Amino acid sequence: MKKDNKNVTRRSVLKTGLALSAAAAVPSIFNINHAWAQDVTYDGKVFDAGGATLNIGEWGGGWEEFVRSALTNQFEKDFNCKINWDSSFPWFPKFVTKGAKDPVYDIANWNLPNLTQTKNAGDFFLNTDEVRANVPNTANCWEFAFASGAGVTWAYQPYVYAYRTDRGKAVNNFRDFWAARFANKRGTYGTENGLMHAFFMATAREFGKDQYDMNAAFKALEDAMPMKVSEFTFNMLSLLERGEVDIAVHIEGEALSLKQKGVPVDVWQWDSHPILTQTKTISRYAKPMQKKLAFALLNRTLEPSFLNAFGDKFLWRPTNSKATITASLAKEGVMNTASATEAFWVPDWNFFVKNKLEITDRLNAIFGL
Amino acid sequence: MGKKIPLPMMILAILGFCYMLLPIVIVVLAGLTAGEFLTFPPKGLSFRWVIAFLQSEKYLSSFFFSFKLALMTMVISTILGTAVALFLSRAQFVGRGAMRAFFLSPVVLPGVVIGFALYAFFISTGMGISRTIWGLSIGHILYSTPYVIGTVGAALASYNVSLEEAARSLGASPLRAFRKVTLPNIAQGIQAGSIFAFIVSFGQFEVSLFLSAPNSEPLPIAMYNSLRYKFDPSAAAAGIFAITLVIASVLLTNRLVNIRRLLEKQ
Amino acid sequence: MTEASAQVGFHQPGSYQRHMKWLLVVPLVIFWVIFFVIPVGLMFATSFNSQIIGQVAVTSDLTLDNYIRFFSRSNYLLAAWRSVLLAIVVSVITLIVAYPMAYLIAKTENQARNTFLLILVLSAMQLDMVIRLYGMMVILGDNGLINQMLAGLGLIKVDEPIQFMYNFLGVVLGLVQFALPFMILTLMGVIAGIDPSLEEAARSLGASRRRAFLRVTLPASMPGILSGSLLVFALSISSYIVPALMGGFRVGVLPIHIFQQVAEGARFQFGATISVILFILSAAAVATYLRVGSSKSGGLA
Repeated sequence: MKKDNKNVTRRSVLKTGLALSAAAAVPSIFNINHAWAQDVTYDGKVFDAGGATLNIGEWGGGWEEFVRSALTNQFEKDFNCKINWDSSFPWFPKFVTKGAKDPVYDIANWNLPNLTQTKNAGDFFLNTDEVRANVPNTANCWEFAFASGAGVTWAYQPYVYAYRTDRGKAVNNFRDFWAARFANKRGTYGTENGLMHAFFMATAREFGKDQYDMNAAFKALEDAMPMKVSEFTFNMLSLLERGEVDIAVHIEGEALSLKQKGVPVDVWQWDSHPILTQTKTISRYAKPMQKKLAFALLNRTLEPSFLNAFGDKFLWRPTNSKATITASLAKEGVMNTASATEAFWVPDWNFFVKNKLEITDRLNAIFGL
Repeated sequence: MGKKIPLPMMILAILGFCYMLLPIVIVVLAGLTAGEFLTFPPKGLSFRWVIAFLQSEKYLSSFFFSFKLALMTMVISTILGTAVALFLSRAQFVGRGAMRAFFLSPVVLPGVVIGFALYAFFISTGMGISRTIWGLSIGHILYSTPYVIGTVGAALASYNVSLEEAARSLGASPLRAFRKVTLPNIAQGIQAGSIFAFIVSFGQFEVSLFLSAPNSEPLPIAMYNSLRYKFDPSAAAAGIFAITLVIASVLLTNRLVNIRRLLEKQ
Repeated sequence: MTEASAQVGFHQPGSYQRHMKWLLVVPLVIFWVIFFVIPVGLMFATSFNSQIIGQVAVTSDLTLDNYIRFFSRSNYLLAAWRSVLLAIVVSVITLIVAYPMAYLIAKTENQARNTFLLILVLSAMQLDMVIRLYGMMVILGDNGLINQMLAGLGLIKVDEPIQFMYNFLGVVLGLVQFALPFMILTLMGVIAGIDPSLEEAARSLGASRRRAFLRVTLPASMPGILSGSLLVFALSISSYIVPALMGGFRVGVLPIHIFQQVAEGARFQFGATISVILFILSAAAVATYLRVGSSKSGGLA
């Protein structure tokens, strides 16, 4: 089917195209038959990639600046390779448009809902076992780092409510968000935002019989209106700082950084303990050298030295048991031990993705979109 | 000045300027804060965030990439768009309105539609320009050219073609008649059109989402990416830098090519 | 510009006027066909395929399911209506606010002042929308400057602020602020091009200042008004970021739905369906407008 369409397109281009028919006729670089060796292995040692290019999908801005300086610049030198960095999220439509056999990125960094969506749309990624066999540092990771089934989670932080401390008593219950005093002063996110997805699942679990009770969640969210809906966490922090919202769905690190800067806010961690994760996947049909480099980069990402530096900078927690929690979080009592991580809950994103269309429609209706 | 402009008009204009500029003034002041985060009123004034922006390799390279892209887009859009505007103002044929609407049509679609359609098209035809500066600038040209056609077209419509004909009948060559008579009359339209093309491209977020190239994404994308995670005034600082650049370039162009002086000859 | 003049110059008057002027339009027509008509046409065609997440190419499996889905859900119909209404309202308001501003700039002869005003307009275009929203929030938010002022004057209660944002009004206010420079720059050139002696002549014949303006200057600015309002209409009906941010994700317009479907959900077929409907609505509005407009301005615009 896809091939037919390609011919039609090319024909029409040639028919009409005067200027660019030449360009269109250039043999497609995407049609090269990759001899994707499934059996590439990696043992954790530095090797010479001979100047190969590694395509990665990874966040941009300040995040990119830090990760480049703390991780990838040195990686490029050590492995003699070049990193092609793409930070124009979202990756999902890009992956499916190019197809599994011709991956747009060799290694990509994700939030779980989007990762799961892509994973379920085709044979895009190596599974967790295949990754574990080739990335030595995974041996030290907590088990929940592999919950996605596709990639390895390297950093995480819990979902929290961030709330103004100067507007009444402290928040200590998931249902406080629904308190009358927060009418039109409660903040959440747009329908397609990952934080909203997590909030939705946690709401189902709290108000329904379990996390699969969608109707209970819809009902509860309807009751929470009017809410202020934002698109990204930066905007939510502005809303909090200006007192436009008094309580907001948020993540621990960013909300705490606002507190550290002197804004009267504090956080309360949801008692269902869902976590926001950073998970890296390796594309199944990446070329052998790229796949090997992807293993190596993932291994480096899981090094305690990088995770510690990253935690210090952005207040994320590491999944590697050998890494340490950054001082300011440790002061709040956060620990990196088996028992401390036991309570974490990774919502069933497969269920979520299966019902996403329905959820999107209903949430849109609740918000008035 | 006061003599020529009626007072009610003057008052309305001033109110309009206030409305247009107030958000900008607030962002600029907030960006000059000496504090740790974006807030208004600012906590003391300083250039620390502007300096931090200038020291950020990431932002600065995105800035210059966007600048280059916008220049490319501007040059091509201005040439092609002015040609089409000239054509539309002079040719008389059935369907002229339809053709005009045809050239305007990319703008009525959200940028993400154009961006995605082009991305899928580049991949399915194997053109090899998906996620390169060329593919990206094609998307931007689709969005910028209609503005050039609009402004140059408006300038041409308000100007009397018989002037050029008169010059020609006095023996001026077509090129000379165009350059000496038509061009000065529509210069401000062309100037406005090219400014549009530049700024529309420079601020373009949605079209770039699918088309932007690895390692060199345009500033709006870099900014958006960074704003998702960071609560600091560097985006406001980027705005201050951009505004400074606009002021500098307007003053510079006014010095180098005084288009208005050309206009006065009309 | 250089290309245009070169082409004009190469040919003898007669032939240039008859045939060669088509050369002016051919390059862009080719560009538009290859990079707009074909890619967007292919995408539009997928709106007649069934919705399969991640499926990109057109298939022969034809269905009207996506259109049925669109027309059977009230929120999409409401969004369509809201998009058109929004674009019309914003165009009208922007025109009314921008005209005096453009007039002021066009009629300011003092070089330095003129440059200064131009810089103000251009500066207003230079801020990224996301950060510009912050400025709007400081002014219009529940705790914003306007509400604070009103509360200070005792006109409203502090805990019952007027909602200037996160609703339709907020989207209008944001889009007008965004669109003003575009309208000003379009009008400015046209107003500056109007021969001042026309107005003077009218006045010397005894017309009042207002009458001279209404009878001479305003009609002569018609091409700019048409062109500018068309641009602003297009800008408003296709804007995603302003309705999303100023409407607080609670004012549904078609671009938000398209963005959700295409960029976030990879539901390309349904995204294409909404795009087709948006396109048809805009085309109908623009066609009506051009028809009305050209009858009023003698076909100039």
